[in-house]
Amino acid sequence: MTLPDSAVAMVPAPSAGSRAPAAPRPRVVSPYNPANAVTASRFLFLPPFVWAVDSGHHQWATLFILVCGLLDKLDGLAARIFDCRSPFGELFDAITDGICYGFMLIVVAAYGWAPVLPVVLIIALGLLNTGMRGIYTKRAGRTVNYKSYGMERIVAYTGYLIGFATAAFEVTFFYWLFVPLMALTVAHDTKRMLVDPIPPAAEGA
Amino acid sequence: MTAEILSPTAFAWFVTILTGGVAGAWGIYDAISLVRARNADSRDPLVRDRRFGYVIGIAIGVIGVMGCLRFHDVM
Repeated sequence: MTLPDSAVAMVPAPSAGSRAPAAPRPRVVSPYNPANAVTASRFLFLPPFVWAVDSGHHQWATLFILVCGLLDKLDGLAARIFDCRSPFGELFDAITDGICYGFMLIVVAAYGWAPVLPVVLIIALGLLNTGMRGIYTKRAGRTVNYKSYGMERIVAYTGYLIGFATAAFEVTFFYWLFVPLMALTVAHDTKRMLVDPIPPAAEGA
Repeated sequence: MTAEILSPTAFAWFVTILTGGVAGAWGIYDAISLVRARNADSRDPLVRDRRFGYVIGIAIGVIGVMGCLRFHDVM
């Protein structure tokens, strides 16, 4: 099986006797690992989520988004426990966030559970950010998952947004206040990705 | 499968506690982190990004708590 370059993590090679420690050699992390399995399992909740929204079961829909959000936190934990962190896994997690949350936002907006205009703006800003990440990857010359503290918080808020829609919990208030926050974060990240110097590759990246 | 898991009142309070609790704790945590990062080198882009993230976290925390208060007609 051929593994992508991004699945390679650096680990120190075992030293022999009293000799000086050898230089780190690459360790191959399979993309078929427990952490990525947890990440991939989030897709399983999309059909039941659509069923719950279509049937008008607000509480079940909330439960499914809650489990989906919980799995988002668990994959990082699984990666640490099983020592299978890799740049591919981080990228896969980010892509899964985008697909799952983007799809769920479209569903709640399509069924009239969330206002359409903020959802359109949120998805447009998300796509813009994805494009910037692509440009940043080309600038960096390596597969990287761009780390942004602001965007991490915005992604978590997005999960909550879907929950607010399914629970009919101050939907208009939360959706409209989210848009300027996300626009501000995307502008901040765009400046970092396109203008600021690229930091050196971290070990293992 | 039944349409309801909890009674409407219990469900409303469940969402309130989940939102208000997480948002409040998150806002306080990021406020403390922001204060702790005040002596870090501002010329470092990573430090600036971290501070920006903390400010966004505080804003999200405030919005979350405000939303809960609005839902229960406190604000």
